[in-house]
Formats: sequence, C-alpha cells, structure tokens
Amino acid sequence: MDGEITRSWRDPELFVKALPSVLLQTTCFLAPLLMTFILTFQRTRDFQLRWTWDLATWTEIFSKPHYWTILGHTLFMAIACVIVCIVLALPIAYGLATRFKAYENEIKTLITFAFITDATLKTFGWVLFLDKKGGANFLLSYIGFPPETVAFLFTDWATLLGMVYNLLPFAIFTIYLSIDNIDRSLILAAYDAGASKFRAHWEVTLPLCKPGIWAGSVLIFLLGVGVFLEPKVLGGGKSPMSAELIRQTFETRVNWPLGAALTLVLMIVAVFIVLLFTRVAGMKRAAT
Amino acid sequence: MNHRVEARLADVLLYGSMAAALIFFYVPIFTLIAFSFQEGRYLTLPFEGFSLKWYGELFRSAPALNALWNSTIIALVATLAATTIGTMAAIVAVRYRFIGKRAFQGLSGAPLAFPQLLLGIVLLLWFSVLGRWFGFNTGIVTAIIGHVVYIAPFAMVIVAVQVYNFDPVLEDAARDCGAGTWDVYRYVTIPILWPGIFSAAIFSFLLSWGNFYLTYSLAGSTRTIPTFIFSGIAIGSSPLYPAIAAVVFVPGILLVILANRMRQRG
Repeated sequence: MDGEITRSWRDPELFVKALPSVLLQTTCFLAPLLMTFILTFQRTRDFQLRWTWDLATWTEIFSKPHYWTILGHTLFMAIACVIVCIVLALPIAYGLATRFKAYENEIKTLITFAFITDATLKTFGWVLFLDKKGGANFLLSYIGFPPETVAFLFTDWATLLGMVYNLLPFAIFTIYLSIDNIDRSLILAAYDAGASKFRAHWEVTLPLCKPGIWAGSVLIFLLGVGVFLEPKVLGGGKSPMSAELIRQTFETRVNWPLGAALTLVLMIVAVFIVLLFTRVAGMKRAAT
Repeated sequence: MNHRVEARLADVLLYGSMAAALIFFYVPIFTLIAFSFQEGRYLTLPFEGFSLKWYGELFRSAPALNALWNSTIIALVATLAATTIGTMAAIVAVRYRFIGKRAFQGLSGAPLAFPQLLLGIVLLLWFSVLGRWFGFNTGIVTAIIGHVVYIAPFAMVIVAVQVYNFDPVLEDAARDCGAGTWDVYRYVTIPILWPGIFSAAIFSFLLSWGNFYLTYSLAGSTRTIPTFIFSGIAIGSSPLYPAIAAVVFVPGILLVILANRMRQRG
C-alpha cells in the first residue's frame, strides 16, 4: 500500500519514533563494533588491557595458518548448511504456500514453535536422540537393526545436522513469503502455453522465488559462520569452528585484542563472500 | 512425461517433504519430553521405569528455579523495551519518507543478520571497557541490553508487516474529526497495529527467554535456563534437564498459538 508520508528530521513525529532505535543501535551495536576494531591494536598483559597501539595482533593472525584453517572449515560448514537448507526448504515452502492451505496456520505454528524454543534444549535433545544408547538406536534396534547403527554423534555430521535444524526455518519462511507473493496467473499462463508441471515449476516458480532463496541463503550463511552450540555440544568440540576459537581466546587465553581481531576477520570475510556472490549473480543477470 | 504420473510424483514429494520436515523439527522436542518421564539417573534407553520423580526434583532444585526466575525477569523487561522500540521503528521504516531512510532501515535491522555469539562478544568487549572506566560489572542489566539490541529488529520486522497493511487514510480521518496526535495514536493507530504488536511481544519474550548466546556472554555470573543447562552439559547430563525442557515447552507452544490467533484476527 502506498501510504508514505514525507517527513523531515525536524518533525517530532519522525524524530521521537526513530530516536530510540537509532540510539540503541549506535550505542550498542555500531560503537561496540568500532571499539572491537580499536581493541585489535592493543595488547593484554597479566590479564589486563594495555593501550599500546601496535600491529602485534594482526601480525600474529596473518602469520599463523592455524586460524585460517579453522576459518576455512567454518566457511565450508556454513556453505554446506546453506545448500542443505535451501534444497530442503524449497519443497516444504512450496507445499506450504500452495498445497496445504487448509492446515497452513497449524503448520506455521508448529514450525514457529520449533524455531523459537530454547536452542540449548533442542540441541541437547538431539544429543539424547543420537547417543549410543539414545532414541534413534533404540527405535532402530526395535525394528531389527544391529545395535549402535547411528554413530555419528560428536562428528562434523552431527554439527551440520544441528546447524540445519536450527537454521532451516529461516529458509522456509523467506522462500514461503516469496512464493506466496507470486502471481498465480503466471503459472496458469505457463500451463496454458503447454508447459508441464515440472517445466512450469522450473521456468516460472523457481526464478520468481529467487529473492526468497537469496535472502534465506544470506541469513543462513551469516548466522551459520557464528554457530557455537552445535559444534560444541553435537560436534563434541573436536573440530573447532571460528566461534569456539574466538570464545577460547577470551576465556582461556584472556587475549582480548586477538579475540576482537578474530571476530572482525570472521565477519569481514563472511560479508565479503556475500558481496562476491551478489556481484557474480548480478553479472549473470546482466549477461542474460 | 505423463501428466498424471507427474502430478502423483509432485504430491509424493510435497506431502513427503512436509511430513519429514515436521518429524525432523519435533525429534529433539519429543525425545526430551519422553526422557523427562524416565525414572533412572542416566539418560539412556531403555528406561528403568516411568515416573514424575524428576519434575518433583526440579521444583526442589534452587539453582534451576533461580535460573527460571532470572530468565523470566530478563525476558519481561527485554520484551517491553524491544517491542516499544521495534514498533516505533517499524512505523518510521514503513510509513515515512525521509532523508536517510535506507540507512535507518539498515541500522535498525542489522543485528538480525549478525551471529548472536559475535554480537555477544562485541558487546562484552564494549561493556568490559566501559565497565572499567565507569566501574560496573556485567550482570542482569547488560544481559537485558544485549537482548534488546538483538530482539528489537525482530519486533520491528513483525510490526512492519502490520504497518504495511494499514491504510493511513484512517489516521487522516480521525485527524479530520478533530483528534489530536496523541488521540490518533491511542484510538486508531495502536488498536489497528495491536495484533502485530502483540505477536511481536510474544516472539520477543520467547526469543529472550530461550536466548543462550547473549546471556552467556553478558550476564556475568547470573544464570538463566539456557546457560544453566549449557554449563550442566559440560559436566555431564543430569536427568533434571529433560524435565526443565518439558516445563519450558508448555508456555512456549501456548504463546505461539496465541500469537498466531491474534495475527489472524488482525
């Protein structure tokens, strides 16, 4: 609905309502980010922060491949998670938007609840399910499988499962919204033109829900590079990801500048990858 | 390909994936509920027996109840603040046209796409440095601030949908009838936006109530349910946790249903 009203910043209608959000996010989001950047040039000695202004932290980061291996592993897991989530979310979101209209609200409620409840508890629930003597093996042995068939707890696979579990709803909801907004008549027109169901889906629906797929991918990727619970609880902390490395530099090594620098490196690399993909996708669109 | 075969295949794919998704989403939830009724000390199958013993233990466990209390207090305050800020931001972001609108939308929504653990760490650094300068420690207040930073954008997005579908002519009509700015808000804007505001509040509450990452970094020594359970898992699982989970799930599902009802009416 086009109901935009032009306002100037001097107008209290705009100013009063915009101020709390602007204040909150500048003092508690932008300023802390800036402080994080400033801290990377300092040092800690005897568990105390020293204002030294040098590049010691950055030279350490760029000289140790260890940090970059972990970063690579993290990015790999996040990308794997994005791909799995999008592939799984497409039929679910499509079904939700077109086929299950009668139960749409019930299904949405169920997914929302699963999404919004305590992630620590759900992750712990997966441990109980996947454990050697847990739910999965109990059920499988009940129908005749040998004991301990499910044995991937405390591996990267379990971490990936946890990540997909916690992030899949983002893909479902963004893709659902974009399919829901598609003009039905376009698909009917494709049928009229003689397209089969799959062809119509492939050539009409899928391209039209690209914005949803894209938004979901970006969100999942950015949130996926920062996961901590899943590798720690489900992955058993065996192959650490960036978030855990960062936590450790704060907790056990009490090295604030290093932790701050690793945080920034992770976010900058992640945002850079998103921009790169945007650029590539944009160029492809320009070429066709 | 034959059209009928194709339609059948599409049905199988869509029904199958929906069923699989719902089962997938509820596997850990039902596992926890099932384990909450077990009698033995160890969280393994087969169960030694069924009992409500651990629910009883839960209500006698001071640390668990304390964590539940802290979670609730933090969530209530954070909900109130995040919903208010988010609602105002949503009106600004959707309704008005002004210089720097894109910047405003970006700034107000940015924490949505920022990993929570990193947000927690960035804020921890901030509060630690400020704390050293001004002499305070991280605790329940810093945890609440962290929650508001993260949750206000969610509230903004939820309310924004409602603002988007709301005809501003109604406000003009009220103004033409002689209502003042405040009256327009009180009798027109807020009642019309209420379903969105209400569901934003419910989601804010649940996001804050079950928040692990920000509390973990910012709450100092204060424990909430998620951090209480996390610190416990590190030592070894206790039969109390499934019971806590089952207790936490009940208000959760009720609130989600309530929010959905409200939004449908709106």
